[in-house]
Amino acid sequence: MSRLEAKKPSICRSEPLTGERTRASLAALRGLVTSCYGPAGRLKQLHNGRGGSVVTTSQSAALLAGLPVSTPVLKVLTAAVRNHVACFSDGGLFTAILCCNLVENVQRLGLTPTTVIKLNKHLLSLCTSYLKSEVCACRIPVDFSSTQILLSLVRSILTSKPACMLIAKEVDHISTLILRAFLLTIPESAQEHIILGKSIIVPLKGQRVIDSAVLPGILIEVSEVQLMKILPIKKSDSFKVALFGVSLSGDLSDTGEGTLLVSYGVSLENAALDQLFNLGKQLVSDRVDLVLCQKVIHPSLKQFLRTHHVIAVDRIGVSLMEPLSKVTGAWPIGSLGSISPSSYGSIKDLCIAKFGCKHFFHLIPNKTTICSLLLCNRNDTAWDELKLTCQTALHALQLTIKDPYVLLGGGCTETHLVAYIRHKTRNEPESVLQDEGCSQTELQLITDAFCSALESLAGSLEHDGGEILTDSKYGHFWSVQADLPSAVNWPDLLSRCGCGLYSSQEELSWSFLRSARHPFPPQTCLSREATGSASTLTLDCFTAKLSGLQVAVETASLILDLSCVIEDTN
Amino acid sequence: MVACVSSHLRKTGDGAKTFIIFLCHLLRGLREITGKEKDFFPFENIQTCGRHWKNCCQWKFISQALLTFQTQILDYVMDHYLSRHFLSIFSSGTKERTLCRGSLEMLLGAYFCGRVGRNNHNLISQLMCDYVFKCTACESSFEEVLELVDDCFVELKVGVTGLPVSDSRIVAGLVLQRDFSVHCPADGDIRIVIVTETIQPLFSVSGSEVILNSEAQFQTSQFWITERTKAIVKHLQNQNVKLLLSTVKQPDLVIYFAGLNGISVVECLSPEELSLIQRVIGLVPFVLPEASSQYELSHTALVKFCKPLILRSKRYVHLGLMSTCSFTPHCIVLCGPVQGLVEQHEDALHGAFKMLRQVFKDLDLNYVTQTSDQSCTSGPRIYKNSRESNELPKIVNSSIQRSYQDTVVKNEGELAKTQTNLKVCSNLIVPSVKLEKNVLCSTPKVAVTDSYQTDETLRCSSPNKGRIMDDHEPFIENNSANSKTENTRKEISYENLQVTKLARKDSILPLRYKSLEMCTSQSYYFSSIPAGCVLPVGGNFEILLHYYLLNYAKKCQQSEQTMVSRIIANALLGVPKILYKSKKGNYSFPQVYVRALQALQTNQPMISNQTGLESVAGKYQLLASVLQCLTNILTVDLVISIKRQPQEVYDQDSEEEL
Repeated sequence: MSRLEAKKPSICRSEPLTGERTRASLAALRGLVTSCYGPAGRLKQLHNGRGGSVVTTSQSAALLAGLPVSTPVLKVLTAAVRNHVACFSDGGLFTAILCCNLVENVQRLGLTPTTVIKLNKHLLSLCTSYLKSEVCACRIPVDFSSTQILLSLVRSILTSKPACMLIAKEVDHISTLILRAFLLTIPESAQEHIILGKSIIVPLKGQRVIDSAVLPGILIEVSEVQLMKILPIKKSDSFKVALFGVSLSGDLSDTGEGTLLVSYGVSLENAALDQLFNLGKQLVSDRVDLVLCQKVIHPSLKQFLRTHHVIAVDRIGVSLMEPLSKVTGAWPIGSLGSISPSSYGSIKDLCIAKFGCKHFFHLIPNKTTICSLLLCNRNDTAWDELKLTCQTALHALQLTIKDPYVLLGGGCTETHLVAYIRHKTRNEPESVLQDEGCSQTELQLITDAFCSALESLAGSLEHDGGEILTDSKYGHFWSVQADLPSAVNWPDLLSRCGCGLYSSQEELSWSFLRSARHPFPPQTCLSREATGSASTLTLDCFTAKLSGLQVAVETASLILDLSCVIEDTN
Repeated sequence: MVACVSSHLRKTGDGAKTFIIFLCHLLRGLREITGKEKDFFPFENIQTCGRHWKNCCQWKFISQALLTFQTQILDYVMDHYLSRHFLSIFSSGTKERTLCRGSLEMLLGAYFCGRVGRNNHNLISQLMCDYVFKCTACESSFEEVLELVDDCFVELKVGVTGLPVSDSRIVAGLVLQRDFSVHCPADGDIRIVIVTETIQPLFSVSGSEVILNSEAQFQTSQFWITERTKAIVKHLQNQNVKLLLSTVKQPDLVIYFAGLNGISVVECLSPEELSLIQRVIGLVPFVLPEASSQYELSHTALVKFCKPLILRSKRYVHLGLMSTCSFTPHCIVLCGPVQGLVEQHEDALHGAFKMLRQVFKDLDLNYVTQTSDQSCTSGPRIYKNSRESNELPKIVNSSIQRSYQDTVVKNEGELAKTQTNLKVCSNLIVPSVKLEKNVLCSTPKVAVTDSYQTDETLRCSSPNKGRIMDDHEPFIENNSANSKTENTRKEISYENLQVTKLARKDSILPLRYKSLEMCTSQSYYFSSIPAGCVLPVGGNFEILLHYYLLNYAKKCQQSEQTMVSRIIANALLGVPKILYKSKKGNYSFPQVYVRALQALQTNQPMISNQTGLESVAGKYQLLASVLQCLTNILTVDLVISIKRQPQEVYDQDSEEEL
């Protein structure tokens, strides 16, 4: 029974940002994402009171996917962050925090949206053009001849996700595996366009993290029952593979839309089975060693193949089809009648491997860009988090190939940018004022709001009540523990800056990040020696962070531009 | 109102907000007049229907006057007075018209200003401008290109979420929003075919019966199907076909053979995508031959490239179509952090193409001028004399508004009174007046290619209208033959009037004959707003039309037209008033208005302090749509609300149980 309910009129709220509810929820969201940020970030547990699975995470992808949001402004914000994460995997929290900070800071000023948006856009273009320029001192070109930078990038991503629950040794192990898995996906002979392969993550829960491994080729899980039926694999240099995309179950395939009249005694099922046997005979006569089928293989056909020493594996699923086709070089067969010999593929070796309590067929290819990353972690939630992190790291590595730069992490990029912007707008404001038609005061106010948004973003890396300092030469980020003695010798207390590039033993002068400072020009043009000397750096993915910065400012502008929210409550 | 705005927006892509503002001001203007009238005529003598009935008559009268205004005065004023102020987006000088990029940017800039958020509108405007120039092969084909882009906009844009808006770009070629079913990389020019059915023969066709007497029969037919599919695909390969575009899902067998033969396949093309491809490259779908012997493959075309395009880790098919029409295929990739923003930009761009499409069209104007000083179209003659006498002196008066309202009010009162006294049923009168107008205005309209207004008038006519129009057919044809050649303004003598009169005598309008006699002295004018006419933004059009309508009203001798012109002229100012609301000092509305009036009175050019242009045709159509909407609203005398019927679920259940 359907009940008719009168349609409710839409709710129209003007000035959505000034409302108490929006403000409170924006502050709540900011608090939430800020507390997750960085290696020392706090974990969040998402669970439904009625039961079900529990998610422990500090990643924006998992957090925002499970977070119910009702305020329209927050919906826009979280949607923007989730879309960013879907594109780049990394930098979700960065985007979310920056966007919240910007909205809150600018909203406090009470300037007209037009001015705010124009100036924010201008400051953003200052940042992006600086980050893309050669003189940028927070960007390092990637040296692909050594693994140092790439390994640092992976390590930084792993350590910034505390919910993976890894100890230092495990971080080392996993980052090496990720890098190795990534390198295996790069084709050996590079043409004009590099087509990267794929690393397939194979779950193995309940094992020690240290048991994780990378294997070239593909692992297909088989049950123990299946395994018993498979005869010992004979030794050979190469195995011929047939890969089927169609079902070999003997079901009557599509017979069209008309009516089928079958005489008594005629069995179409037998006819179909006969066809399958013919197919089997052809496979045997073509000396195929391994038959893989996406769907189901008829038990009789399986039996037939087995008696002829052909290994048959079915129910592989659509997701493995493309990698399998790549690994074996076989073309997915869509016909039961005639098989062209050119659609067979081959592999170098085939073996049965046991990892943990699971059995796998391991297809070892001759030469390919597909590899399997066997990922272990102690429990389900930690495994989920680790899997997400591995995907993020692999994606970041791919993006780095496209745009071979990395940004300094650990808050140094942000504080350096702040120093750059403050200096730039203080010393060369004329160009802005002319182009945008606003006053010096307005520019100063917006610059302060923008810079403090970036500064508090960097500041949110610190969760244990420590103080944050910045030096007046490089504009980097330095953190120091709480409860300082009154007379301090800074170089002794601080060891290295956030990204690990500079040591405190240089002749530097520091000041508190939140204190008023005189704008100074941060040193540009990073020297080669500096990047070479530091052993472990904290690094961020360049593409993801740059896009995150743009998305954050654009979304903040979008939110600040809202003058009315019309909500359909039906 | 919402329906009217939506239909206007669908057609022109512009002016929804102005529509509502303008309609609102018109309604307020009318309410002021009718409100005044209460004091003048208490109308206690109407027994049954009372005040409501009286109001209805009044409103109907006004709506008729509005219709007259729209069909005659508006075009006249546009053509005679406003046209001298028009600017063009085409650069003049050379004989061929060339589109001026700067002007187009100004036009688009002003359009996007109100539709796209402040931080993006320059970017979107530039993107659109680039797109228009990139897609157009030659200067003369803008109209054709815009028509195609407007029709197929959905297929020509790709929305990507999660990237900053500044990553939006234009890509050459066509992007299909799906992945290849099979992709076989190929170099050089690629031959393509389109199919609309499965290549694999069906085992049985719908509606047929297949009788199987043995298993062997079944196997043979399966074998035949396989062989035949193989043969067709092989044949395609022999013809060097490298890409198969299919509107349906092809069976696994076809995909398998295509892959083996190095043919890429894209399945499930939407009908819209198919029609776009057909329009661009003029390729007809490949028809599967009946016989399996050799057959010629005539319907193929070449594409420059065919490759996957990856946007936000999603794969699309990217085709380098070689256009056979004036449209050079390009696609717009629109990026944005959230879906809603991308959609907003898509809608704005689509609207902009609609708007431009209107700009690049000539807009016809037709009107009648009377050489005799009496009108023949509206208002019963009886009231004319009394009105003319007391109108003229008052118009000279500078405190115009109040006095003219008084006049009108009085006259209307009279009208209402007489109409009720005559006991003429309003239902009878409405169609009659409309009918005549339809006849009158549809005659010159024959030459109009865009039959929008004619449609409108036809729709609101009474059932017996159809017959009457039929009677006119010979006449219409005659006239169209005469006027088809007219491009510039030309007078056409009304030779065929006799025919009309005869035809009209068939209709049921005894009241109207008298006025018809006077039409003999009418002259019909055909003119147009040429393509590309623009005016600076900032209420320029409204102030100009306001000024000239007031002038016209002063000269006009019929009071209902004076009244209507004034109401419209005053309502027009509502738009600039809102535009200048936030401005102060020298740029506040009164200042701007006074300056504009002074400039007009002294025949000096109006100075606009704003950059940006808007289309005259768009404004004209907006005005026409608003007036039509208002006419519709005013002629409704009663709104009956119908409750939705509740579903009788219980009854059905109980019956089934029984």
